[in-house]
Amino acid sequence: MLTLPHRPLRIAAAITLAAAIAALIALVLWAILAAATGSGSSASRIDIPHLLRMTSIQAGLTTVLSLAVGTALAWSLNRLRFPGRDLVVGLFASAIVTPGMVVAFGLLSIWGRNGWINQLSEALFGVSIGNPAFGLSGILFAHVILDGAFAARILLARLDAIPAARLKTGQSLGLTAWQRFAIIDWPTLRGTMPGLAAIIFLLAFTSFPIVLLLGGGPANQTLEVAIYAAVRQDFDLAGAVRLAATQIAVCSAVILAASAMGPIPTSLGTSAAPRWRDAAPARLLQALVLALCILGFALPLLSVLFDGLASGLGSLLARPAFWWAAASSLLIGAASAILTLVLAMLLAMGRGATADGPLRTLLGMPAYAYLAVPAIVLSLGFFLLVRQLGIAPATAAPFVVILANSLLALPFAMATLGPPLEAIARSRGKLIRSLGLSGWRQFAAVECPLLGRDIGVMLALAFCFSLGDLGVIALFGTQDFQTLPLMMFRALGSYRSNDASAIAAILLIGTIIAFVGLPRLVERIANAAR
Amino acid sequence: MLRVENLTFAHPGQATPYVFSFVADSGEITAISGVSGSGKSTLLDLLAGFLEPTGGTVALDGRDLLPLPPEARPVSLLLQSESLFDHLSAARNIALGLPSRTEKAQTLQRVADALAEVGLEGLGDQQAATLSGGQKQRVALARTLLRARPILLLDEPFSALDDETRSVIRDLVRTLTTRHGWHTILVSHHADDVEALANRRYVLESRRLSPSGETKK
Repeated sequence: MLTLPHRPLRIAAAITLAAAIAALIALVLWAILAAATGSGSSASRIDIPHLLRMTSIQAGLTTVLSLAVGTALAWSLNRLRFPGRDLVVGLFASAIVTPGMVVAFGLLSIWGRNGWINQLSEALFGVSIGNPAFGLSGILFAHVILDGAFAARILLARLDAIPAARLKTGQSLGLTAWQRFAIIDWPTLRGTMPGLAAIIFLLAFTSFPIVLLLGGGPANQTLEVAIYAAVRQDFDLAGAVRLAATQIAVCSAVILAASAMGPIPTSLGTSAAPRWRDAAPARLLQALVLALCILGFALPLLSVLFDGLASGLGSLLARPAFWWAAASSLLIGAASAILTLVLAMLLAMGRGATADGPLRTLLGMPAYAYLAVPAIVLSLGFFLLVRQLGIAPATAAPFVVILANSLLALPFAMATLGPPLEAIARSRGKLIRSLGLSGWRQFAAVECPLLGRDIGVMLALAFCFSLGDLGVIALFGTQDFQTLPLMMFRALGSYRSNDASAIAAILLIGTIIAFVGLPRLVERIANAAR
Repeated sequence: MLRVENLTFAHPGQATPYVFSFVADSGEITAISGVSGSGKSTLLDLLAGFLEPTGGTVALDGRDLLPLPPEARPVSLLLQSESLFDHLSAARNIALGLPSRTEKAQTLQRVADALAEVGLEGLGDQQAATLSGGQKQRVALARTLLRARPILLLDEPFSALDDETRSVIRDLVRTLTTRHGWHTILVSHHADDVEALANRRYVLESRRLSPSGETKK
């Protein structure tokens, strides 16, 4: 019999917040719809079927390749034990927060026309390999680097949680490496695949900076980039609205299908599994897979650091515009992270105090807001809304960017904080009720200390998402209000590649520091308060 | 006296309901035994207020307890495990038994007194996760002392303990029950626990309680 702490205030606060987010999303969609009906859409020459086809092909290929790479990588990491393994796992875990435009830039510096590979090829063989970093191949490469690593981290958690008893049985039966994968691993992974595929498809379908930087022209344009182009370059609001409506329809359909497939567990723990080494050929294959993946993931990032720190950093640091952009990025990142924490905590605490039923489902819905209404669409909606309200976009920009970034980080924040909060409520509900702990005391004595690291991880995720965001700021940025990603994008657009290199390196360093440092810092603070 | 009369409850889909009737005196330990799944924990959940009965009464010295929510019932719980929050120190776990507005100096003194009474002087700063099973149960009993609730519900509290520790904790429960006049209800399927502790015994069979053996004073 499940006993939950009696928390009507938490439930009321979560319902109010969920309703407010739903109202905000509805308002944004209304603004888009009103703009669509208010302007003649016949003048628009946007080829939506072509864009939809290209976006779907790109997202579909990304999904298949990422799942294949992610499975192979998770399999290798699960089997191999070596010094620095935790660091490697952490490296792949950071994929979720690595700014897409930094990875894209890293790929250009390795595989681009003037990249390392081309220079090496021309020096050694006198042959150019062209520019594989541009076009569909470049987009897929960048997506697979990020989404494959993301998939690997999720799948590795599943493999690490396989019960020790099952492994002991398999080992005692003398299963080969292939039998072990087919009989023990795959049944464990299979249930995660549909939900994971849906998430990767959505991430690729709504990808913005990578397609913008590596797309290489209209042939590979996606809906997301087309919306940006329609608003900022062609001033075709009617066309942008039609594109946004198409984007929302596809995303909603995918989410509906994904929600029927069951959730992806975020935290599974590890079983005390026995050490079971596969045969030598399998281990060799695992080592090869791991080495290729590390090279594929780390090389572009190392290249960004090397290029950025070697050229252009000095002159960039001397420019006041850089410091303004850096300050804006930090302030917006910090504000977004704090707002995300408040939103996620309120929603997750209300959900944790609610027994299974429709209300519980309802309180989980705001987490899907971003996936249904992607960054550029949300941004477009806010853009139209502030115009309709007679507010200059420049005036509303900082607030809109903070709010939009928080909504974008919310699903990941809920996935980080929700499960541990619910686990506390469910496993200790009886004790908490019988002790008569107030809601505040439950939070201060039980939840806050236990969630220290999770809160840090959540703040780091939200901060990094905001730090690397280009989708929201792209529509609201001005010459006076820009963040580092927008400054980098503008530098690329005006062929100041040294500036872009240096900004990319700074963004990467900032992301690494926040992703590694924030969870430790918050955990230390929480421990000190015990 | 704690008097339970025709306390009736059925889980969803359960055709025949449980009907519990028994009495428990102050300063005495009343043992409820029965096989696994016989409904012992259901009875404790009903007494603690986690389940709502469909009929019957639960009265302590004539006062009806059924309208009270779990947190307001004059009841303390001691479970087989998970009675403590592992991330907190022993002292902070015990202090949760006091109202949150209790002054710090008074809290420290009362926690120290409770620790002394259960024989854990000087262990207040130790994190609960690092305590042994027996020490954890002592800390939970110390918290019960501060809560000063007249009914103590014990749900298989000795199951995870070795024989020696088991005997020591049983003695402590016996001493505290007598000293503080608690109405202690012990649920256990271990015959030796029941034999060693019980003043009154009931056996739960076919969803009914029936007295077993003689009442010891």
